[in-house]
Amino acid sequence: MIKEKYINHLNETAITIVNSRVECIGVKNITKTGLRVYKNGYIGIASALGKYDNEKLENKAIDSLDDKIKYTCEISRDKTRIIDKRNNIIDDKEFINETELLFSELRECQPNFSFSNKIKMIEITTTLSNDSNLYLQHSDKALEVELYFKEKSSKNVIDGEIKYFGRNYDRRLLVYEINMILNAYKNNIKLENKETYPVIFLNSNNIILEKFITDLHGRNFAAGVSLFSDKQGQKMFNEEFTLYQSNNPEDVTNRTFFDAEGVVNKDYKFTLIENGVIKAPYTDKRLAEEYNLPKTGSAMSDYSEIPHTKYNSNLMLEESNKTVKELLGGNIGVLVLMSEGGDFTSDGNFSTPVQLSMLFDGEKLIGRLPQIQLSSNIFDMFGNSFRGVGKDIFPFSKDKLIVMDMKVSEL
Amino acid sequence: MYKFPNSLYSDVRIEDVFETNISFTKGKINKNSVTRYQAAFIRIFNGERWYYTSTSDVDNIQKEIDYLASKARTNEGIYNHPIVRKFEVNKGKFLRFEADDVTKVNKEEKKKLITDLFNVIEFREVIKTWGAAYIENKKIQHFFSSKGADIVFDSQRVGIGIRVALEQDGKNLSETFMKSSDKFDDLKNQKINLEKFISKCENFMKNSRSVVPGKYKVILSPFAAGVFAHESFGHKSEADFMVEDDTMKEEWAIGKKIGADILSIVDYGMGVGSGYVPFDDEGTKSKETYLIENGILKGRLHSASTAVSLDEDLTGNCRAVNFEYEPIVRMTSTYILPGDKTKEELFYEVKDGIYIDTIKHGSGMSTFTIAPSIAYLIKDGKITDPVSISTITGNVFETLSDVDGVSDELELLSLVAFHCGKNDQMGLPVGLGGPYVRVKDMNVQ
Repeated sequence: MIKEKYINHLNETAITIVNSRVECIGVKNITKTGLRVYKNGYIGIASALGKYDNEKLENKAIDSLDDKIKYTCEISRDKTRIIDKRNNIIDDKEFINETELLFSELRECQPNFSFSNKIKMIEITTTLSNDSNLYLQHSDKALEVELYFKEKSSKNVIDGEIKYFGRNYDRRLLVYEINMILNAYKNNIKLENKETYPVIFLNSNNIILEKFITDLHGRNFAAGVSLFSDKQGQKMFNEEFTLYQSNNPEDVTNRTFFDAEGVVNKDYKFTLIENGVIKAPYTDKRLAEEYNLPKTGSAMSDYSEIPHTKYNSNLMLEESNKTVKELLGGNIGVLVLMSEGGDFTSDGNFSTPVQLSMLFDGEKLIGRLPQIQLSSNIFDMFGNSFRGVGKDIFPFSKDKLIVMDMKVSEL
Repeated sequence: MYKFPNSLYSDVRIEDVFETNISFTKGKINKNSVTRYQAAFIRIFNGERWYYTSTSDVDNIQKEIDYLASKARTNEGIYNHPIVRKFEVNKGKFLRFEADDVTKVNKEEKKKLITDLFNVIEFREVIKTWGAAYIENKKIQHFFSSKGADIVFDSQRVGIGIRVALEQDGKNLSETFMKSSDKFDDLKNQKINLEKFISKCENFMKNSRSVVPGKYKVILSPFAAGVFAHESFGHKSEADFMVEDDTMKEEWAIGKKIGADILSIVDYGMGVGSGYVPFDDEGTKSKETYLIENGILKGRLHSASTAVSLDEDLTGNCRAVNFEYEPIVRMTSTYILPGDKTKEELFYEVKDGIYIDTIKHGSGMSTFTIAPSIAYLIKDGKITDPVSISTITGNVFETLSDVDGVSDELELLSLVAFHCGKNDQMGLPVGLGGPYVRVKDMNVQ
């Protein structure tokens, strides 16, 4: 019998902002443990929140082998790797004070806007270890900025959002980026009467990737219910379009470099679509084994679950060697800053309302558009209409910018 | 029980949680877990700021109270603070589910509930992959406050979900059959319902065509109407969006006409199902709150803080998704009240339109969006061809005013797989529902 432990330790400070002022300060210090046992081709699991009795937990996991949940895959073994990407983003003692200073500055430079929601400092250490000499540990610390802004004279509940998730903080750059957006926001402009526009999405906005998230899921792919089933090896998209799953600490923050089964990919990445060609759906070991698919190291689980393939939003696009301005090729584009509620149909048609967008020349935000509707089809969006991913990024949030042509109409 | 610090307001919320999750994929078991834990959330308020923490070490809650107290400046007059004065002081035990306690049901019986449905699915050629799950959550909450509140209450949610993915001749569809309740016995005998559901899915997949985008008269099923009410208006009723915002207070002034005369929307936590919230997470007893009454803005959903800010009464709507989070203003069960037309009359009056049966998701800002799943054309009063729609959007005010028909029976739904997300708190169980609702003009894509 092999025993394996999955331990997740979270240390978090959350500052709640209401009307541009600090209203709440919350702290969290929580450890979650999952104990897995593997025996005779089955897996058992038991979990604990906080302190626990190891023997009792082990016995509970062993008892759960009676559920006869099959696990015949090779267990990850003989590997030790520790990655610690924590740095002192803002000194813990200074975090609240710095947040107050930030909003003091924003109240002064943007008095006609109010901000709300949260800023958090999140530190996570995750360890996966077992009796077969596996010891993988990832530690990381991230600053999460999720702020809604509202023009004080606006009748909307929210007018837009500012998001960041990463390891850096520079108040000057954050204020610069917020000012860049809000100053353009104040300039209302009309949408020209054109059917299509180049549209720019932030990589952090998963909405345009939703169809890949569902239809590159290994089970859907193999069962034939995916739009991409039977298309492995075929060129279905633009040559410039490469989609990969990344656990690389240089790409992502607070995501372990290993998956929930202890798989560590080369460069912590796995390419699913390369230069328009579908290479593989994403899988965990059991799914890969069941359907004879490539193992992509995509197993996920929380502490109480057996690893399996969930809908994976850890997808990224490879950037081109062109700037957004070059990708726009002299055109003015529509930069999508907030789009809630859109979706794909089963045959790949896409539509979304856009609550906040701006005209963008590739370097400068020009002004705010009225609420619009975007529509297209996935094979166009990432096919003929796909222009590429710009190599430049927003100054603070470092979000990549994805450019494609779409139908745009006023809502 | 706890020594609360002087000159500070404190409250403690302890959750005793019992969860079962049994799931299968294509008949093979992949989860059979029973989890039980106790954990707590502690808050302190000094009149200027809230301080909070969560812990799974319920034997050391006093330590957490003392730690938070050390962070906060004291305030001698805290119990005269308007927010603290607003808090209710309720005492007692309010246990609704002792007789129908789902934790007393044998695990094998729960497993059999779904395995008995397998023969409906497994030999249908058009179903290429499927999953089945039984989910339950039983929670007993203890709430204490330094004002003297001391309440114990429970909630219980059970449900089955059967997710099917169909494919034939290059067409595909994914849908989920759900049956939820707060009592285990209500989940039994679902074979016929599941069969009907699969047949409907199969027909839709084979025969649906893309909708011609445009404006349509739309009839929403009770499920779709419930999501519409939740997304288009429910979130806007959450008063935390209005605090210190004069523009919003004017825009959403009580007494303002904002919808059709036949439209009334209520939020109430004492119904059955997912939205059963007898007390919120500040210890406030649930109140029946009319958000819209006959087209007039009637009320809002509050925490103590927002109620004070807007000088309104408490409603029992301050909730946290679990012990790790602070309570914020959330819905409980939100639904449109029935009207006076029969369902048949509602459809009969539509010459050309669309009927939305099921939906994938919805969201609401100043524009709301619904992503339909199964939908049909309506022609001369009858439901006709299945039609595939990406999204339906609308301006909230316009759409509320465009409601021109409401059927006469309310279906209040308990949906174990439908949860509400707000800010960083995802997955809050809520109830929703309504009658059939007709809207004269919606933007369909």
